[in-house]
Amino acid sequence: MRIRQVNNTSPPRYRLMMSDGRHSFTSFLLATQLNHLYEEDLLVPNCVCKVKKTSPNTLADGRLVLTVIDMEVIQSAEETGGMIGDPIPYNTDDNTSQMQSPDSSSSLAASPPPDAVPGSSDRNNNSSSRGFAGRSTMKVSPMSASPMETSPMKAPTMAASPMKASPMKFSPMKTSPMKAPTMDTSPMKASPMKFSPMKASPMKASPMKFSPMKASPMKASPMKFSPTKATGSSPGSSTKVISIAGLNPYQSKWTIKARVNNKSNIRTWSNSKGEGRLFSFEIVDDSGEIRITAFNKEVDKFYSLVEQGKVYYITKASVKPANKQYNTLKNDYEMTLNANSTIVPCDDSEGVPAVHCDFVPIADLESRDNNDIVDVIGVCKSAEDVSRITTKNSREVSKRALNLIDTTGKDVTATLWGEEAEKFDGSGQPVVAIKGARLSDFGGRSLSALFSSKVMVNPDIPEAFRLRAWFDQKGYALDSQSLTETRSASSGPKTNWKSLSNVKDEQMGHREKADYFSCVATVLYIRKENCLYRACPSQDCNKKVTDQQNGFYRCEKCHREFPNFKYRLLLSANLADFGDNQWVTCFQETAEVLLGHSAETLGQLRDTDEAAFDEVFQRATFTTHIFKNRVKLETYNDEARVKVTVLEVRPVDHKEYSKRLLGNIHKLAG
Amino acid sequence: MAGILDVPKPRINSSMLSQNVNRPVCFVGRVEKVHPTGKTFTLLDGEGQTATVELNDPLEEELSGIVEVIGMVSNKGVIMSSTYNMLREDKGIAFDLELYNEALKVIHDFPQHYPFEVAASG
Repeated sequence: MRIRQVNNTSPPRYRLMMSDGRHSFTSFLLATQLNHLYEEDLLVPNCVCKVKKTSPNTLADGRLVLTVIDMEVIQSAEETGGMIGDPIPYNTDDNTSQMQSPDSSSSLAASPPPDAVPGSSDRNNNSSSRGFAGRSTMKVSPMSASPMETSPMKAPTMAASPMKASPMKFSPMKTSPMKAPTMDTSPMKASPMKFSPMKASPMKASPMKFSPMKASPMKASPMKFSPTKATGSSPGSSTKVISIAGLNPYQSKWTIKARVNNKSNIRTWSNSKGEGRLFSFEIVDDSGEIRITAFNKEVDKFYSLVEQGKVYYITKASVKPANKQYNTLKNDYEMTLNANSTIVPCDDSEGVPAVHCDFVPIADLESRDNNDIVDVIGVCKSAEDVSRITTKNSREVSKRALNLIDTTGKDVTATLWGEEAEKFDGSGQPVVAIKGARLSDFGGRSLSALFSSKVMVNPDIPEAFRLRAWFDQKGYALDSQSLTETRSASSGPKTNWKSLSNVKDEQMGHREKADYFSCVATVLYIRKENCLYRACPSQDCNKKVTDQQNGFYRCEKCHREFPNFKYRLLLSANLADFGDNQWVTCFQETAEVLLGHSAETLGQLRDTDEAAFDEVFQRATFTTHIFKNRVKLETYNDEARVKVTVLEVRPVDHKEYSKRLLGNIHKLAG
Repeated sequence: MAGILDVPKPRINSSMLSQNVNRPVCFVGRVEKVHPTGKTFTLLDGEGQTATVELNDPLEEELSGIVEVIGMVSNKGVIMSSTYNMLREDKGIAFDLELYNEALKVIHDFPQHYPFEVAASG
């Protein structure tokens, strides 16, 4: 009816006054996600809306405010043409007078059953729309007041029949433990209860669930439409369980029931303000997930209580906008536990899923940005063995690459690290789901499991079953297109297969930066003269030492003399392929691979056995390898020459090579 | 028998058998079944098609894995093998039959780039 903007908060909040034809109520607050309705002029006075989800809160002064979380505009204001009915302001105190018993039967007075509990029940009165009696339980006399409050109310399937239609529907008003009943059972017989689904009549919803409520006991308060939310009997009081999606900073008295995923360890820090401790965990329910952090005193209080995988009722934490720097979850908010918060373990974990993921189909990964955090699920077509690699920081870490394929027919390589890599068992092609993996452009597109990612093998979610069924029927035969290039070592951004003729044609190396390329080539000739030089024996210094002729060798870089030296290789070799040949330089490491002997051995051989020394070179000639090279235009004394250095020598992987060649042939054949 | 080894022999798979009747060929495939007499066996090519091979002398060893057979194709589509060569699976790199089949198709699709007939010279 009226919309007022309450502007004192940073996203604007709109307060609505709504009527259902019989009553009007002014304390409706529009949830921020619905602000667009107002901003786009969809929500204008006198339009008829169907309020689908609300959640009640009691303000500090005892007033009740209903936050509208989901609403749909059914009829525009023009069509409605003015106010409907003659609403009288609704009295928010619960009182039995609401119950207008006389009203019952025929009219569906929508009056909501009074709730005994302040604030908890939602009220149907909501918004305009022809008074729909939402579910007010209209009880026909016997029902009256009582059932509503105390008698176990069954949450009826809310059939919303238009008010006129008379059948009363029971609104699941909770407050009293309600069971999801089929409403019929309630002695409401008086009027034929119709469970007709809400038809056009705008439903007002008190947050009534239109879908048959399941057996889950409904929580008095916010009716959250999701049955799961209904938590059961929480000890005493009106525990209104709301869904994680319904959390916002403007409500304070709420309870959520969710499962803990991802509990972190206690971290301490000290900065200019002092030091502190924190731990955080993520919780999930079937509407979404949110991250909770506890600081200092709360760490002591809750750290041992919260266990990963268990379901808890959490109340009274502060909700604030999420700090996206630390929080990668899909929720605009995050929570902090404070002195008033409570966490109570819950035994009834029915309906609370273990994990909530928004899976991205693998084919869509291509369109996502680099470094995005995504969730993926796929069948592990193949997995490599775990390997240990040393990082730049000289740390040794295990890693394992898996190949995931999904119904889009595309596959991608995902990398697991550390313990997860070691524990992973890829046998039997399990369905693997990774939550919070980072998408990178390594080798095209690939995924990496972060420290905060969760890897689930054969998870118990419907997506996994779907994938398993698809894979067993068709997927295994699919020759999928890999988003990640061949996992051989040369893959990655540097894999740049060229033939030696390309080097001259494309004038590689002529730009400012050096060019890198890989090629398959055969060694034609290796220069034996000057292949070895005497180098400084100190660690990491490879400078050539000068022979002082007194048994000592001087290194200019270290400014020291040494009685010894180490031999180092510096090969000049000529490589060729079908197109061209190219002189390249091989330093110690690559030279040793090519010749198959260490520099020391060769040094000694050269002095002792000439024939054997020659033999080594002969054997290396006319061998074919994969070379990874760096080419650069260098100027040396006024002369510019293209210099090629070999960075890596690898044996030819014939399978990979043939596949590549076949691919090229097919591409060229058109 | 020496004669057949001097002549260039195209590599074929089962689908090309009919086009090479009465010609010497080279067939590579995986052993499917060996007849109890040891004089004949069937091979599976990279596409999964079978080909039958007949030998002059019965087999003296267990045949398994990938085998390369050189022989003449009879008018019944059977390869009358003069010699065979077993590619042992426990040694060296595993033979990828599907990849081999892909290569075969390329060779046959582009004979102008793969002039094998000339190989006999010299």
